[in-house]
Amino acid sequence: MINDDPGARDLVAIALRSFREAILPVVPADQRFTALMIANALGTAERELAAGATAEPALAAAVGGLLGEAGDLPALLPRLCAAIDAGRFDAPDRQAALRAVLKEITLARLAVSNPKRLAAEGQGVGR
Amino acid sequence: MSGGGKAGLDPDRKAALEAWLAGQAGARSVAVIDEGRLSGGAISLNLAVTLEIDGGPLSGRHACVLRTGSSSGVSASLGKAEEAAVLRAVFAAGATVPEPLFVGADPAMLGAPFYIMRRAAGTAAGFRMVKSEEPRRELARELGRQLGLIHRVRPGAEGLEFLALPEPTAALQAVADFRRWAGRHPASDPVLAYGLRWLERNAPPAGDLVLCHRDYRTGNYMVEDAVGGDRLTAIIDWEFAGWSDPMEDLGWFCAACWRFGRNDREAGGIADRGDLYAGYEETAGRRVDPKAVAYWEAAACMRWAVIAIQQADRHLSGTEPSLELALTGRMLPEIEMDLLRHLDGVGASL
Repeated sequence: MINDDPGARDLVAIALRSFREAILPVVPADQRFTALMIANALGTAERELAAGATAEPALAAAVGGLLGEAGDLPALLPRLCAAIDAGRFDAPDRQAALRAVLKEITLARLAVSNPKRLAAEGQGVGR
Repeated sequence: MSGGGKAGLDPDRKAALEAWLAGQAGARSVAVIDEGRLSGGAISLNLAVTLEIDGGPLSGRHACVLRTGSSSGVSASLGKAEEAAVLRAVFAAGATVPEPLFVGADPAMLGAPFYIMRRAAGTAAGFRMVKSEEPRRELARELGRQLGLIHRVRPGAEGLEFLALPEPTAALQAVADFRRWAGRHPASDPVLAYGLRWLERNAPPAGDLVLCHRDYRTGNYMVEDAVGGDRLTAIIDWEFAGWSDPMEDLGWFCAACWRFGRNDREAGGIADRGDLYAGYEETAGRRVDPKAVAYWEAAACMRWAVIAIQQADRHLSGTEPSLELALTGRMLPEIEMDLLRHLDGVGASL
């Protein structure tokens, strides 16, 4: 289909900005929790649309390195899960290498879902 | 919390409830004053009610909570009549919990089973509980003592026959439950796959089985300001209770996901573990096993992860569209990061 401008990311971004500036300050107290959840959901959607698949090649390389295989991330993740189930990462040193890559993957997801927590991780206070 | 503020009882149901309560209370009459919904709980409906009982042993005014809602199927939550039976058992054991007064097991009356308990004063909100200049050491110690009392309820206790015993051990039963609840997700989410495997390979052997609350954490106890400091008024939200390893509740209380950002206070964001553990050992009749607690902290992260998945599925299935449930699903990365950090800390194996 033909997508007109402005696109989804821009629309969500401007909707969130308008909501924060014009609506949130005048929302009654008993609706504030819902209003904050709406802002949270729009913010997550905006970040997801902005990020796209930019993090995937680096993560695919890291997962591929663990497995000794090549492929894109959606193909490699189920194979990593199967390798974990099969006991290929049971040895302590293999677990440590696995956890390092799993943290990279999880940080990329946190960048979308919870940038505050991501920042805390960067400062080492997330522990 | 969706639909917060709505009144809970329509007039026909209220009349039926009042007549039934009069019979239960051996009273001439009972009036139910509906004071609206209380916040809290994505699963249950809690209504503040005042009962005006005329005649019988409970004659007088009683501030109460009417708790109802269908068992959601999320993580083996108990039905309301069963939850009331658990509450009765821990009340009898001397724990600070609301006394259950009336149990309506017949779903016909209000649309779902319900029970009515005394209303406790104070506040439970987790994010407020952790906002104190000084750690709340005496509160943590008292919560330890309370948990020790709760854990005195053992399999065989009267009225709790409906609670299944874990097989083959508490830990392996828990991991099997997590696998079942996680559905297809561990086949494509390697953090879940790793966490489940780690829990299976490091499961502690069979030990004592006790009544575990299974959601014993900051946010699920109520505190009011009193002269000389905090006063614990009630431990609430018993819908996940079951027989398990006593260290499970300590691990849940201390898990990173229930510190509300106060990671410097490992006992629920309110104090050090030492205070909680010392209180526990005063009343439980057993020592805290820190290694087992560390195992159950990893299990706590996994349990919370699969609950978040289930909450998101309730939204995604279309049966219960809810922004709150949807956003709970997007908490998965932070829960998984807590698990990974914890496993970094305990090393590859216990």
